[in-house]
Amino acid sequence: MNLIVCVKQVPNPEIPPSKFRIDSEAKRTIPPEGIAPVINPYDERAVELALRLKEKHGGKIMVVTLGDDVSGNVVKHALSMGADDGVVLTDPAFEGSDSFGIAYILTRAIQKIGSYDLILCGRQAADWDEGLVGSIIAENLSLPLMTLVVAIERIDKELKMKRVTLEGHQIFTLPIPSVVTVSQEVGRPRLPSGWGIISATKKKLPVWNAKDIGADLSQIGAKGARKRVMKLFLPERERRCEMVQGETAVEAAIKLAEKLREAGTI
Amino acid sequence: MNPTLQTYLDIPNFLILYFLLAVALSIFFYRASKLYGLLRLGGKEDRFDHIGKRIPLFLSNVIGQWCTLRSVSRKDLAGIGHFLMFWTFALFLVNYTYLFIWGAWHQISSLLELGNRFSSAFSFILEMLALLTIGAVIWALGRRYIARAERLKRGFEAAIILILILLLLTTHFLGEALRISAFRDPYGGAVSSAMAIAFDGMSEGAKQASYYIVWWLHIFILLGFLIYIPHSRHLHIIASLFNIFFRSTRPKGALTPIDIETAQNLGVEKIEEFSWKQLLDLYACAECGRCQVSCPAFLSGKPLSPQKLIEHLKTHLIETGNNRNKSTNALIGEIISEEEIWNCLTCYACQEVCPVANEHIEKINELRRNLVMVKNKIPETAERALRTIMMRGDPWTGTQHLRNDWTEGLSIKKLSEESRIDILYWVGCTGALDERNMKVTISFAQLMKKAGINFGILGAEESCCGDPARRMGQELLFQTLVQRNIENLKRYSVKRIVTFCPHCYNTLKNEYPQFGGEFEVIHHTELITHMLKSGRFKPNLPVDKRVAFHDPCYLGRYNDIYLPPRMILSFIPKLKFMELKRSKRESFCCGGGGGHVWLEENIGTRINIMRMQDVIEAEVGILTTACPFCLQMMEEGIKRKHLEGSVEPMDISELIQKTL
Repeated sequence: MNLIVCVKQVPNPEIPPSKFRIDSEAKRTIPPEGIAPVINPYDERAVELALRLKEKHGGKIMVVTLGDDVSGNVVKHALSMGADDGVVLTDPAFEGSDSFGIAYILTRAIQKIGSYDLILCGRQAADWDEGLVGSIIAENLSLPLMTLVVAIERIDKELKMKRVTLEGHQIFTLPIPSVVTVSQEVGRPRLPSGWGIISATKKKLPVWNAKDIGADLSQIGAKGARKRVMKLFLPERERRCEMVQGETAVEAAIKLAEKLREAGTI
Repeated sequence: MNPTLQTYLDIPNFLILYFLLAVALSIFFYRASKLYGLLRLGGKEDRFDHIGKRIPLFLSNVIGQWCTLRSVSRKDLAGIGHFLMFWTFALFLVNYTYLFIWGAWHQISSLLELGNRFSSAFSFILEMLALLTIGAVIWALGRRYIARAERLKRGFEAAIILILILLLLTTHFLGEALRISAFRDPYGGAVSSAMAIAFDGMSEGAKQASYYIVWWLHIFILLGFLIYIPHSRHLHIIASLFNIFFRSTRPKGALTPIDIETAQNLGVEKIEEFSWKQLLDLYACAECGRCQVSCPAFLSGKPLSPQKLIEHLKTHLIETGNNRNKSTNALIGEIISEEEIWNCLTCYACQEVCPVANEHIEKINELRRNLVMVKNKIPETAERALRTIMMRGDPWTGTQHLRNDWTEGLSIKKLSEESRIDILYWVGCTGALDERNMKVTISFAQLMKKAGINFGILGAEESCCGDPARRMGQELLFQTLVQRNIENLKRYSVKRIVTFCPHCYNTLKNEYPQFGGEFEVIHHTELITHMLKSGRFKPNLPVDKRVAFHDPCYLGRYNDIYLPPRMILSFIPKLKFMELKRSKRESFCCGGGGGHVWLEENIGTRINIMRMQDVIEAEVGILTTACPFCLQMMEEGIKRKHLEGSVEPMDISELIQKTL
């Protein structure tokens, strides 16, 4: 099976919340010094699911990312986990693209890669949490789509998929090729193996720009974006602690209930 | 009359002797060549380097018997017995060599009968040693089977060797006494000459006949010995000579690097993937048990025993060698369990006491490398730490801090802003990101400021030194970190580094040179000692308390830094220093080494709680240490033992700062 996994570089989600900074002028986040961006955890699980499929049915995994000059690191991470090849899409013209623009760029790259049986994306990115790109790629390629997938099994020419829901799961079958977005219930992605790290270190990643993938410039970048961020700010959270006293437990509980009612929480 | 000049069925006895010797030697060498062949299965490793270092080490440890003498204590006198047995054995060997090469077909068969000055001195020393050795053997038997010493096994193999030695020595004395008495020979050892008087009443014929019988008995025991040695664990007698010669000459704290360009295996999955020297270790083991009784994992009831590790590997090696084409049990999982592999704290207690210089930690680390880098079998919490190191450059998943948080309001120089400094303060991940240890980081920074030391930090550019990754078997991650750090350090032309983390200290000092990173690395206890000695500051406020120092493994055993912390404490007025029961070389791990700060401790007693027993016995008010992991573990141990309020855990720099 030929599998393509789209991965994104995001600020490390483990940055302590109190250290999170934004530039509200430029409407961007400011990553703290010294903490490198990482592979989007949902995408890492998409890589994990692809690896499980490959282990069972054989095939090749191609990893695609759209980003800047350090984005190669997230592809290398996927390669060290066991993916076979990767490509980095980078071009100043890509900057400022919205989900449609990004999905369009990825679609062009996927079309350039050509042969695929399944395209996997994370259910959403851990930075903006929009969760659109996978669906739009499916739309662009006119392929069937399944979201929130946690397990895939190939049965003859079809893919049997398990999709999580709030209270359980659903089973579907989809034809080959199709697009899936992967949910975190896949489980812990594997740690890169030793040989994986060695071969990933030695691998040179091709870099494609807008011209390489034949992108229509009017659909990408800030100009092509149809969606704008109006305002970016850190919500203020205030925490106060007050000890409610009372002669007896009952009295204290009544006082507490009154306080909570005053505050409008009950 | 030399018994070998007699004839038996017209055959001269010396021919019978040579025949028997040839049989014994053939069996011996057949076995030896098999064992040698097994060593050849192992991988390459250069242990012929540093000959200049090896020879003196060999002489002091083997000829001088420092190997066991250094661990002689009031509780354990075995080293003295070993010294006696070794030298008695060596002198007998000289005597037998004379017998077999020359004496067997001449009138005089033994050096004891020569009658010259050399001979009389030789006989005197040999017999005195032999007599003492008989005493030692009896004492050893008593210690093993009656007093039932903790570290010793009580099996058949241990008894048989002692009994053989006893028989060999008694037949010597008996035979010599009979000879002297029967032939009225004025030449012989002092002990046997004195014993000879006892046979005065016997008839000449009976004396001679008894002499011949005892002499042959002695020879049979000797040849039996020769055959028995390579077939038993007493192979140690031969293998340890080589093992000590080929011992590691690297710094104690440096593990073998994997050469990524040429590596065939990552770690060890099959026994033959160990280097030949790691296999030689298995032969050298005498099963003395010293490693086991100093191993915190074993003592706290975990499955690992360093002695059993060696024993099981040896049995497996021989089994694998005998069934070359058949599959044997899997090394990892069946011979050595994953649990055992993870139990090791890399505290070095086993290697520190091993008389034959075995390298237990190296082996465990090779097995871990395979588990982590090939099999991807990593305990969940360890995996989380490794992942965080990989993604963020520190092992502290979930920390609420960034590397520079502690510098707030302290105006600490960062190399990216000001690179003209005398010494780099390597803070370490735990010092920068763990709430408790950030206080230590600040303390030491303030001490250096007070002393007027021009230091700086890498700040956000610092990343994990690599120690946890390497000790948890992720060598490739380790090497990535090392390369990144060396690049950074060289970019700022750093020459000297000071750190308060012994793990960073050990890795920067002993392991970075493997990758071209040569820096002068100083531990903060050394720098504080220097500051105190040169009068940069003086502790004025008294500490009227009993204070102990817990020796961190990576500071003490790994790097032999025992004196500076004690020196620092001696500068504090009124302080009453208490040595913990297990200290210095014998210090007991805090439970946090070898990546165990990030591993769950589910089996047996918690190691830090065991250590608390020593602290309670010493009745101290302050427990100092000089390692961020030890500090965390001690603090936790104190809480679990409900000692808060009575024992205060502190880094030694914090205590000094309080007294200024």
